Amino acid sequence: MKVFEQGWRVAALLAVVTIVEYIFALNVGNDQVRFIGLGVAAVAKAGMIGAYFMHFMRMFEHAEAH
Amino acid sequence: MAVITFGPPAHDLPNRAQINRVGLWLFFFSEAILFGLLLSARFFLEGIHRAQVNQFLGLIITIILLLSSVSAFTAETAIEHDRRRLASAMLLVTIFLGMVFAVGVGFEWATAEFHRKEAFGTVFFTMTGIHATHVVTGVLMLSLAWAQLRRGKYSSKSHWPISGTVMYWHFVDVVWVFYYPALYLVS
Repeated sequence: MKVFEQGWRVAALLAVVTIVEYIFALNVGNDQVRFIGLGVAAVAKAGMIGAYFMHFMRMFEHAEAH
Repeated sequence: MAVITFGPPAHDLPNRAQINRVGLWLFFFSEAILFGLLLSARFFLEGIHRAQVNQFLGLIITIILLLSSVSAFTAETAIEHDRRRLASAMLLVTIFLGMVFAVGVGFEWATAEFHRKEAFGTVFFTMTGIHATHVVTGVLMLSLAWAQLRRGKYSSKSHWPISGTVMYWHFVDVVWVFYYPALYLVS
C-alpha cells in the first residue's frame, strides 16, 4: 500500500542522511564546518520525522475521531 | 422554543483526537526544553570536545532506533487500516528494537573509557541516561498498547492510545537525532 511505502521511503532517506552524516563527521577537518553540517543534518532529520512519522500537520486538520 | 447558543459553530469545534494531539505536542515541547537544556549544557561545559566513544556502537544503535521508528509508523498505519495482525507484529518489532537500543546504551556505559566525574562523562551519562529512561518508558507504553491491541480494543475508528504511544516513540527518536551527533560526532 502507498502509505506503507511512504514510511519506507522516508526511512531510507533518514538512513542515507545518517550515513552521510557519519562519513562527513569523520572526514571533515574544520570544526566549524563539521558543527554546522551536523546541525543542518539533525534539523533535516527531525523535520522529516516530525512531518511524516509524527504527522505534525494533522494538528491543524479537522480529522475524524480516532 | 428557540435555543440560543454561544461560541463557535459545532463544525468549527475541534474533535477529541485533535485535542489529544495538541496536548501531546504541548507535552513534547515541554520535554524539548529539558532535552535542549541538557544539550546546551553539553556544549557549555565541553565546547565541541569529546572523549573517546565507541563510534561503531553509536552508529549501530542510531540505525536501530531509526528502524524502530519505521516499525512504529507501520504499526500505526496498519491499525488505521484495520490490519491488526500487522499492527501487533510491528509493535512487537518496535518493542524488541527499543530493548536492543537500551542494551546498547548499557553496553556503552559499561565499557566507557571516561569517568562520570569528568565534565564529558557527566554530560554523556546524564544525556544518554535521561534519553534511555524515555526509551524504557516508551517500551513499557508500547507493551501496554500491544497487550490492549491483542485484547481487540483498537480498530481503525478508535486507536488513539496506539497513535499517541507511537508519536511519543518518534519524539524519543527525534531527541536522539540531536544527541547522537552532539555526543559521538562533533570533534
